[in-house]
Amino acid sequence: MRLRTIKYFFKESFTSLVRNRWMSLASIGAVASALIILGSFLLLSVNFDHILKDVESQVEITAYLEDSLEQERISQLKKDFAAISGIKEVEFISKEMALEEFKEQVGEDLLEGIENPLPNSFRIKVNDPHEVALVAEKIEKFSGVDEVKYGKGIVEKLFNIIYWVRMIGLAIMVVFAAVSIFIISNTIRLTVFARRREINIMKYIGATDWFVRWPFLIEGMVLGLIGSSLAVAILGIAYKYLYVTVKLNIPMISLLPIEQFYNYAFGFLGIGMFIGAFGSSFSIKKFLNV
Amino acid sequence: MIEMYGVTKIYPGGQVALKDISLKILKGEFVFIVGPSGAGKSTLIKLLFREELPTRGQIFFGGKNITRLRPREIPYLRRRIGIVFQDFRLLPEKTVYENIAFAMEVVEAPGRDIRKRVPYVLERVGLAHKAKAKPSELSGGEQQRVALARALVNNPDVLVADEPTGNLDPDTSRDIMNLLDDINKRGTTLVVASHARELVDSMKKRVIQLEKGSLVRDEERGVYSNET
Ligand SMILES: Nc1ncnc2c1ncn2[C@@H]1O[C@H](COP(=O)(O)OP(=O)(O)OP(=O)(O)O)[C@@H](O)[C@H]1O
Ligand SMILES: [Mg+2]
Repeated sequence: MRLRTIKYFFKESFTSLVRNRWMSLASIGAVASALIILGSFLLLSVNFDHILKDVESQVEITAYLEDSLEQERISQLKKDFAAISGIKEVEFISKEMALEEFKEQVGEDLLEGIENPLPNSFRIKVNDPHEVALVAEKIEKFSGVDEVKYGKGIVEKLFNIIYWVRMIGLAIMVVFAAVSIFIISNTIRLTVFARRREINIMKYIGATDWFVRWPFLIEGMVLGLIGSSLAVAILGIAYKYLYVTVKLNIPMISLLPIEQFYNYAFGFLGIGMFIGAFGSSFSIKKFLNV
Repeated sequence: MIEMYGVTKIYPGGQVALKDISLKILKGEFVFIVGPSGAGKSTLIKLLFREELPTRGQIFFGGKNITRLRPREIPYLRRRIGIVFQDFRLLPEKTVYENIAFAMEVVEAPGRDIRKRVPYVLERVGLAHKAKAKPSELSGGEQQRVALARALVNNPDVLVADEPTGNLDPDTSRDIMNLLDDINKRGTTLVVASHARELVDSMKKRVIQLEKGSLVRDEERGVYSNET
């Protein structure tokens, strides 16, 4: 394609953008809103995930053993557990060690003079926090295991929340993307209408369909790109502010560093352009008949 | 250059616009298509540049069957045909120069060629001094000259014109006809649908007469006549 032709396409596109400025602004606003919503939910969910990783790494399974168990059986169990897939670490905590820990936690020797009531146990860490429940279930089945405990419920609940945050975000984003496509396709329709004489002449002169299409596609993509850039800028600034605020005020929670956000930025611009191209190709097909 | 074999055109509503037309137009010819209103002149012109497809029959352009073209190939057929309409169809917001250059941009001609070719065709239609004017600042005859220049700028093999003088007074019409004759003398094949009886008669060109969709007369150096 000639440089001259490309210049022509862009000139035509920008002329239309300016001519339909109100519709153009509406299109940009729609794309920006769709992506800001998508972005907010995305950031919310990745941060949730991130925070959860911290929590999860503390979630471990404790398997209490029956008191009567012999040393041999205990060693065998340790081997068996280590062989279960998904288990990262198995640590044996003897009655005595458990008592020491207990004393440390409580600070005083409450159990002085009584026979140690704490059972032997294993502390088990898993690779994937999603598997905690599954692994616990498996461990429970071994004979010699009296009781299995883990942060039951919490993990599932948190995962559930993340799941819904994602789903709701996605649903809202789909609705907004559809609205964006609709508005953009109407904007392009105005352009097609304004230029119908020209298009008619172009076709008689022997313009290819793609030559006729490009300016409209570019117009749509530019609208999408401006909208998504706006969304990225707004989200970026807001996230930076949030990050700093959280860091200063709630030091326990560590949000994903702002750099992570940049990874998404390009994807967002891409989505914006796609929405624009889709919206305009919709109109071109319907109203241009080329 | 152009051959039609048994061409019939029936519009979707059932209107028969052309009935079993066969004809041959040679390279370099100047042909008038005449006939009363509704005879099918415009339809015949439209078949040539694939605005319409015949219901039956075959049409060849430069040896190629254009009824079998894929949609993708149509633009390349049209680049070999300059098209002129009764209502000029110029772009009002572009200058005369830009209107003509536009036709070259659309077919992706190099800028160098555009800068050379546009002044040349403007000169040929006698409008070099109006290059910067907008169509609204021109007379009807001048506008039609611009349209002619635009149709010529890509150097087509054939120029087709549907009532090119339909909106012009007799004197201006004659000027345009002379210009068409001049274009033809330089080698472009011309197919012109026209109502202008005296004008057609005075040109002494081949005349193809249609009536209710049928070809009723085809004469070298003919005259427009309604008596049958
Ligand atoms: N797109 C169309 N759909 C249906 N019928 C059509 C269409 N175009 C033309 N016709 C009909 O076909 C017949 C031939 O029309 P055409 O325009 O070819 O005539 P014409 O000779 O150019 O007439 P005029 O001198 O008035 O321009 C007419 O009866 C017309 O009503
Ligand atoms: Mg007609």
